[in-house]
Amino acid sequence: MHDSTLKLTLRYLVSILIVGIFVFPIAWWGLTSVKPISAVFDKDRIVVFDFEPTLENYRVTVLGYSKRGSKEDGKTLMGTSGNNSYDGRSSIVSSVIVAVGSTLITTIFALLASYGLSRMRFWGSQGYLNWILSQRFLPPVAIIVPLVFIFHDMGLRDTHAGLIIAHTLINIPIAVLLLKSFMDDIPIDIDQAAMIDGATRFQCFWMVILPMVKGGLAATAVLCFVFSWTEFLLSLFLTSSIRTIPVKITTYVTSTGSEWGYISALGTSAILPSFIFILLVQRHLVRGLTMGAIKD
Amino acid sequence: MRDPDSRAGNKLIRLPRWLTSEHPFPWLFPASAMLIVFGLYPVLYSLWLSMFKRNPATRIETFRPSWNWSKVFADDRVIDAVSVTLTYTFIALTIQLVLGLGIALLLDSDRKGFGLLRSLMILPLVVPPAVTGMMFLLMYDGSFGVISHMLYGLGLLSPSTPILAGGTSALWGVIIADVWQWTPFMVLIMLAGLRALPKDPFEAAAIDGATDMQAFFRLTLPMMSKIIALAVLIRGIDLFRIYDYIKVMTDSGPGTATETLTAYAGTIYFKNADFPYASTVALFTLILVVIIANLFIKIFKVRF
Repeated sequence: MHDSTLKLTLRYLVSILIVGIFVFPIAWWGLTSVKPISAVFDKDRIVVFDFEPTLENYRVTVLGYSKRGSKEDGKTLMGTSGNNSYDGRSSIVSSVIVAVGSTLITTIFALLASYGLSRMRFWGSQGYLNWILSQRFLPPVAIIVPLVFIFHDMGLRDTHAGLIIAHTLINIPIAVLLLKSFMDDIPIDIDQAAMIDGATRFQCFWMVILPMVKGGLAATAVLCFVFSWTEFLLSLFLTSSIRTIPVKITTYVTSTGSEWGYISALGTSAILPSFIFILLVQRHLVRGLTMGAIKD
Repeated sequence: MRDPDSRAGNKLIRLPRWLTSEHPFPWLFPASAMLIVFGLYPVLYSLWLSMFKRNPATRIETFRPSWNWSKVFADDRVIDAVSVTLTYTFIALTIQLVLGLGIALLLDSDRKGFGLLRSLMILPLVVPPAVTGMMFLLMYDGSFGVISHMLYGLGLLSPSTPILAGGTSALWGVIIADVWQWTPFMVLIMLAGLRALPKDPFEAAAIDGATDMQAFFRLTLPMMSKIIALAVLIRGIDLFRIYDYIKVMTDSGPGTATETLTAYAGTIYFKNADFPYASTVALFTLILVVIIANLFIKIFKVRF
């Protein structure tokens, strides 16, 4: 295509404007997180840049310092809860434990299953795939009530292990379908060659296929991490004292007012790691989001 | 390498074939066990639970198989929730599809800078939906929200009626948050589709004097129909089970104006503690999803 200069300029302008609109809420959120309280809660006008930037919100939520000056004039600050209720450190630790744990288990289980599905012909394999796919579309709310009871009986309620299991359950269908699509890309001749040389199935998987599917494995792991990191409903129902970041943030909204500074500081900290991870595997993102149906 | 026989002979116990790595069973077992114990079993448990009638005063549950199910079909709030869910799904899906396709066409260029713009476009996807809800809550705030102030300035909104306080505007408020978060999903998929299109038909059309519009409607859309159907299916199912935004932003309010099926099930669970009825409504949601998704798959011949 040979666009005219005018057309091209217009295209750049419209593209930048639209992408700008989509980036704006996050930029605004990041800006809010470094504003002092007076700038956030200005009723008369919207404060954009004319404020003294402060890292106070990050000190409280991410580093766990107590609210500045809370001893002297605690009553003048908004919010009624104690000093430490805005400390987000334990929720960050919980989120990391749950996301890393469920990512590890999901990828191991899914690697095995996807190898079996990709390399072996057996009766009912298509039905099995459909079943896995249907699990992806199961509304979590349909299993949440019994899951609470089952977890209670098994002593998994309100534990990291329980939440790891729940997130693994949500992620396994996606991971299996995605890894299968990556393995399907590897010609089956390679397995046959390895087995003619005397390798067992497991050796073939471990020493031949696994190294070849590394890129896909990384993409799968990142997606599992992000899904677990951002999951809300299961964490809300299955835990009470352990709080992952998305659930913890919603507790900052109180009947006496929302601590937007703290909310946005913890929120911004939560967005950063997933964005960096996602950028690393951007190439495989479409395949991941469509569970291998669209190969990029 | 030794020959297979001597290898097997070194083992003390010879495993049955279905326990060796030559058989699919050990490969599929861990994932399947997980899905059966924590996925399939809870659904069946849910079904069992839905057959009990709970007395809210005595908290005693008695076995009455059809009680909750007849209640679901007679419950006005369920009917309202179905209509809110369908409205929400339809509007959000339409906007996301049209915007997604439009933005994908716009960003599908190899010129300098478009790669960066495409990367930035992914950003909303990694924000936890609960955090997205909070972000929009802040921007919608009646006294210091930036979107509210913009709308005041344009005369589209008066400070006496905040966005999330009116029934219709609250639903739109939540839809806009959803559109912001998930349009990038559509953009990514449509970009992948556009990139995979063959070049020849477009060159032939250009030689025959087709306009850009004609090329889009006669070539691009038909060739992308499979991918569009797939994207609509995945997004549609996720929209149908929307929970996070509603819970965080409006908590089904004002009144029950933004109460979707999953939100209603959550309300029954948390506020009434009527677990049998909560599972019935949740199962009802599942049944609707399965019916609608299968119809869609049949009609549009979607394949994974």
